[in-house]
Amino acid sequence: MSFPRALLLVMLALFASPAWANLIYVLNSGDATISLIDSVTRAEIRRIPALREPHHLTLTPDGRDLLIADSGGNELYVMDPANAEVRRRVRVSNPYHLAYSPDGKYLVVASLRRDQVDIYDARDLSLLQRLRVGDKPSHIAFDPESRFAYVTLQGVRSVMAIDMATRQPAWQAEVGREPAGITWNRGRLLVGVMGESHFAVLNPETRQVERQIPTGRGAHTIFPSPDGSVLYGTSRVDSRIIAINPETLEITRSYEVPGGPDCIAFDPEGRIWVSLRWVQRVGILDPRNGDLETIRVGRSPHGVFVQPVRGE
Amino acid sequence: MIDGIFSAYGDFIGWLYTAGLQPMLYALGMMDYADDLYRWLDFAVFGLIGIIVSWVVCRPLEAANPVERWENRDPVHTDIIYTVLSRVGVFPLLAFVLLNGAQSWLEGTIANTGFVAPTLESLVPPLRDHPLLALACYVVILDFGEYWRHRFQHRFGWWWALHSVHHAQTQMTFWTDDRNHILDDVLAALWFGALALLIGVPLGQFPVILLILRLAESMSHANIRMSYGSVGERLVVSPRFHRLHHGLLSAGQTGKNYGVLLPVWDWMFGTADFDRRVYPPTGVPDGPEGLATGSWFRQQVLGVRRLAQALTGRG
Repeated sequence: MSFPRALLLVMLALFASPAWANLIYVLNSGDATISLIDSVTRAEIRRIPALREPHHLTLTPDGRDLLIADSGGNELYVMDPANAEVRRRVRVSNPYHLAYSPDGKYLVVASLRRDQVDIYDARDLSLLQRLRVGDKPSHIAFDPESRFAYVTLQGVRSVMAIDMATRQPAWQAEVGREPAGITWNRGRLLVGVMGESHFAVLNPETRQVERQIPTGRGAHTIFPSPDGSVLYGTSRVDSRIIAINPETLEITRSYEVPGGPDCIAFDPEGRIWVSLRWVQRVGILDPRNGDLETIRVGRSPHGVFVQPVRGE
Repeated sequence: MIDGIFSAYGDFIGWLYTAGLQPMLYALGMMDYADDLYRWLDFAVFGLIGIIVSWVVCRPLEAANPVERWENRDPVHTDIIYTVLSRVGVFPLLAFVLLNGAQSWLEGTIANTGFVAPTLESLVPPLRDHPLLALACYVVILDFGEYWRHRFQHRFGWWWALHSVHHAQTQMTFWTDDRNHILDDVLAALWFGALALLIGVPLGQFPVILLILRLAESMSHANIRMSYGSVGERLVVSPRFHRLHHGLLSAGQTGKNYGVLLPVWDWMFGTADFDRRVYPPTGVPDGPEGLATGSWFRQQVLGVRRLAQALTGRG
C-alpha cells in the first residue's frame, strides 16, 4: 500500500470514529435479562441475567449507582453504570417503577401487581412507609420541590398525590382510562392515558384535567429532552413518538415507530433510544431527520438507559 | 440458524400482537392488561408450537410401534380437546381473568407482613450467573413437588375422584398428558403456586426448555412400546415406565411409578417398578363408562359427581 493511501485510510479512520461511544442498558422484562449495547457498533456486547422481570431503572441522585428494579424477583440491583458491575442487591417487595425525589431524600417505588407504593430512605434504602393504594400503581413523578409524589393508578383511572412530609395520600384525581406515564411540566402534570388517545394535562392545584394533547391510541409515557426544549410522548397502539412543545403543549412533529414504543432515553448526540415493547427490539430515532434504526434485544424490552462512556 | 428462528418467532409474535391483539384490547378498554396478554399470547403460540412438536415426534412413533391398536379413536379425540384448552392457554387465560384480583390482594397482604419471597438464586448466589443451571435446579425441585402431589392424588379418595378422569383413558396416547379435571388443574396450580412462592419460579423465561419438558411428558403418555433402557429408565420417565402407572392394577392407592419427569423419586421412596417387559392395559376398573369415553363435558360432570360421593362417603 502506498504511503499516501495509507495516510488517507488513517485519516479517514480517525475522523470517522466518534469521540464518544455510549453504553445502552435495555431491560428485557420478558426473559429476565439486561442487554448492554455499544452505541457506536450497535452491537449487543453483553446480556446480563436478571432474576425474573426487570422493568424500570433510575440513577441515584449522585449519579454513582444505577438502580434496576426486578419486580418479579423482588430485588433492586445497584449497579455501576459505567461497567454494569452489580455492586449490591436489595430485597424489595415487587418493585415496578421507581423514582428519586428531586431533593434526593427519598426513593419511591410503585408495585403494579401488589397495589402498594413504598417510600424508602434514599440513603440506606430502609422502608419508611408502605401505602396501600388503588388498583395498579404504575408510574411516578415529583414536583420540583419534592413536596408531592404523583402516582398513576392504572386500574382506577386516577392520579394520586402523596404528601412527602406526612408520607400519606393527599388527594386523588380522575384523568381517564388506564393512566400510565407521568411527568411534571411547568406546574402541570402530563399523564399518558393509555386506554385513550391523548395525554391529559392535570393541574395539581385545581386537580382538574385542563386539556388533552392528542397523540394516538395507547398514549403511554412522556420524557423531556435533556435540555428541556422538547417533550417526547409515546403511543403504544398507534406506534408513534410525538414531539411536544413544553411551553405551548402543541405537537411539533410525529414519528412513526413500529413495535409499541415505550420508554425513552437520550444519548449525548441527541438521538432517542426507545424500547419497542412488542417486537423484541430497541429503536434509535434521530429526531432531526426522523431516521429510525432498530437492534434486536430480548423479549418485551422495557426500561432503557444511556450511559455516556469515553470511547476509542 | 437458532438466532434466525428466534428472530422470526419474535417478529411473528410482534406482528400478531400489534396488528391484532393490542388494537382489540384498546377497543375493548382493556389496555390495563396489555402486558399480561402479551405474555399470554407468547404462551399460547408457544403452546401451539408445543402441540405441533409433540405431534411430529410422538405420532410417527405411535404409528410405528404401538402398544395397542384401536378401530375407533373417539376417546383420543376428547384428549385433543383437553390438550388444546390447556396448552393454547384458554385455561390459563380464564384463571388469570378470574384470579388476577385475588392474586394481587394475596401478594399485597403477604408483602404487608414484611415477607419478601426469596428465589433459589438469592439463597444460592452462584446460581445467579448460571441461569440454565438454576433452571435445572428448579425443574428438579418442582418435579419433586409434582411427585408428591401425584402421590396425594392417589392417596386421598376425594382427590382420586378427580384424578381418575386422567386415569380413565383406555386409549392412552401422547394427547392424554393434559386430560385432567378442571378442579384437579386448579389444585395443581395452587400446589405449584405455593411452591413457587417458596422458591420462586422462572420457568416462563425459558420457553425452549419448557417445550422440551412438555415433550418429555407427552412422550411418557404415548402409545409406544418403548423403554429407555436399563439406565435411561432411571433417568427420565419413559412411555413404558408411565404406562405401568396407568395400568388397571395400578389405579387408586395401589400405584407405582408416580414420577412425572424424573423416576428418581420413585426409586428413593420405594414406588418404582423398572420391569421393562410390562405394558399393561390402562383405565380405571371401577369407573363409569362415561369417564373413559364420554365427551369432555360429560367427564367433567362425572368427576364432580365422584368427588361429591367421595366427600359424603357414598363413593
